Amino acid sequence: MTPAVPSAVRLAPVLGLLVLATIAAIGIGSSFMPPERVVSALMGQGVRMDEVIVWKLRLPRVILAVLAGAALALAGALLQRVVRNPMASPSVLGISDGAAVGILLFLWLFSDEGNNLTVSVHWQPLAAILGASIFGGLVMLLALADRGGNRSLKIILYGIALAALAKAVVTLLIILGPVYRASQALTWLTGSVGAAHWDDVLTMALGLAIAAPFLASQRLVLRQLVLDPESAATTGVPLERAQFILLATAVALTALATAHVGAIGFVGLVAPHIARVVHGQFRSFYLLSTALTGSLIVLSADLLARTIAPPLELPTGALTALVGAPLFLYLLIKGRRYHA
Amino acid sequence: MTRLVSGLCLMLFLACVLSLHAGLTVFDPVTVVSALAGGEGTDALIVTTLRLPRTLIGLCTGAALGLSGLLMQSVTRNPLAEPGLLGVNAGAALFVTLGATVLGFSGLAGIGTAAMLGALFTTALVFLLSVSAGGADNPATTLLAGVTVAALFASFTQTLLLIDETALETLLFWLSGSFADRPLNLLVLGLPLLVAGCAGSFFFASSLDALRLDDASARTVGVNVMLVRIAALAFAALLAAGAVAMAGPVLFLGLAAPHLARRLMGDTLPSTRALIVLSMLTGALIAVIADILARIIVAPGEAPISAVLALVGVPLLVHLLRRRKAVSV
Repeated sequence: MTPAVPSAVRLAPVLGLLVLATIAAIGIGSSFMPPERVVSALMGQGVRMDEVIVWKLRLPRVILAVLAGAALALAGALLQRVVRNPMASPSVLGISDGAAVGILLFLWLFSDEGNNLTVSVHWQPLAAILGASIFGGLVMLLALADRGGNRSLKIILYGIALAALAKAVVTLLIILGPVYRASQALTWLTGSVGAAHWDDVLTMALGLAIAAPFLASQRLVLRQLVLDPESAATTGVPLERAQFILLATAVALTALATAHVGAIGFVGLVAPHIARVVHGQFRSFYLLSTALTGSLIVLSADLLARTIAPPLELPTGALTALVGAPLFLYLLIKGRRYHA
Repeated sequence: MTRLVSGLCLMLFLACVLSLHAGLTVFDPVTVVSALAGGEGTDALIVTTLRLPRTLIGLCTGAALGLSGLLMQSVTRNPLAEPGLLGVNAGAALFVTLGATVLGFSGLAGIGTAAMLGALFTTALVFLLSVSAGGADNPATTLLAGVTVAALFASFTQTLLLIDETALETLLFWLSGSFADRPLNLLVLGLPLLVAGCAGSFFFASSLDALRLDDASARTVGVNVMLVRIAALAFAALLAAGAVAMAGPVLFLGLAAPHLARRLMGDTLPSTRALIVLSMLTGALIAVIADILARIIVAPGEAPISAVLALVGVPLLVHLLRRRKAVSV
């Protein structure tokens, strides 16, 4: 890691891989399409059939994977900074599980006898966002109301407590709820980008477009949060408010992603670490690098999910670790002098 | 401290007695005592072959996980550390799934052995990886290597089970973790590991006390930090391997029991020796109580133990957190 290489150049490998993965993900599927046909279809000069496959089926899915991966990775990076713990991730602090509770309650409350939804399925993301916000908000409220001691530790402890509670509620809802809904809920809980639609892409993109400039403005604060609380306070950061705002952003990003693709795990944990090893955590573009890594992991996982056991399509969330874990372990061993 | 320990012991004893009586059918004390004394009949059979094993297995698993979690948290100084982060549960699940899909075995003794082997193999792999990443003296690297291997193995297991649905059906009862319907001879696997882990923890207790501050301070008082850390993690792995062999993957308990034990002591900073005793007692107590509730809340079905553990443990944890000022990990 020579500091002489400019930050932007260090982004090139992951960006290149992401472009390659995107083209592969558009081309590979139940009908294979060679790269030149993919490119010409994207340019609007392909065969009509190719254009339908690319624009209607594969592109929304690919973009949704990219956006959701980025959102989850960013949420993970924020959480790890805010609670000052390298093991923090959206699934540890009860946010994804809160979203799951929201979805399950939605499926349970609005199903009729024939297992049909009585309201439009478009309300489902809202249920997830509500669930995530309620659980995330509870963690924050409990931590804020608790005046004594170490704030980061308090957030973690309340987080794991509420995450466990949410998991228990999910399990009980699955057991007690209608059986047909259980299997649907299970797929959702593992996470999948299979049902992607341009509407989903639009909402996700909008959310990220709001979050990105805000995070860019907070990059100095994020750096200072790495210091111990006293030193951070002496640099002039309003510590409590910064923690609160960033935590809220992490909750919002997780809720948004989980609402559209389900509880895809492991990305939020590992993408910030990969970005740290490859890019360095105190360099500019660290957050961008994290986001791109997250996109790459989810996109590759989805590509594998579609192709590993045809015609069966596996849920994306089952394979994020299959892609992310070997990559991270390799970097960990190669990096050697890596300090979390 | 003495009052606290004797109080917990008394509660644990009462919980065990209750666990023998309560269930789908509630027995009176006379039936239970005569069953334990070697009586015959259906009721006696239920007590001796169903309720007694699950009580004992719950007790041992709870104690083992509580202690394992304590070792993990003290040695890594991370409040999020728990036995599952060494890959024990994921490794056990993968070996059991491979055993069922490739070798085709289904007996609980076979599953228990496979689980233990898987747990130990995975922990060894995690150690190896963190050493080759140059992180043997950096606990965060060990945890990261552990959580990554765990996620990878969980992904293998999930893929195998998604492809082979019959295996999923036969293994689901084991994969969700439970103290029910476990034969008593599984204790042969778990109990020696519990005793070994317990002895090892007491042996290293004073070194673990020294490790609380930071590595440098521990070194100045003559503690071999590397040795203590590896030994403690190895004992944590043995304990958790025993637990997963007996009950399958049980979540939350290893994470919560040490935190609960710490909060029980209130504002005084307890010694590691005291924490060892308290974590084991708290773990065992919650496990036995949760097991009783697991029979009742979705009767006549059986609720998954991890879910019930959370329902019992979370309110307790939040209550204790709010009652006392923060005590550092």
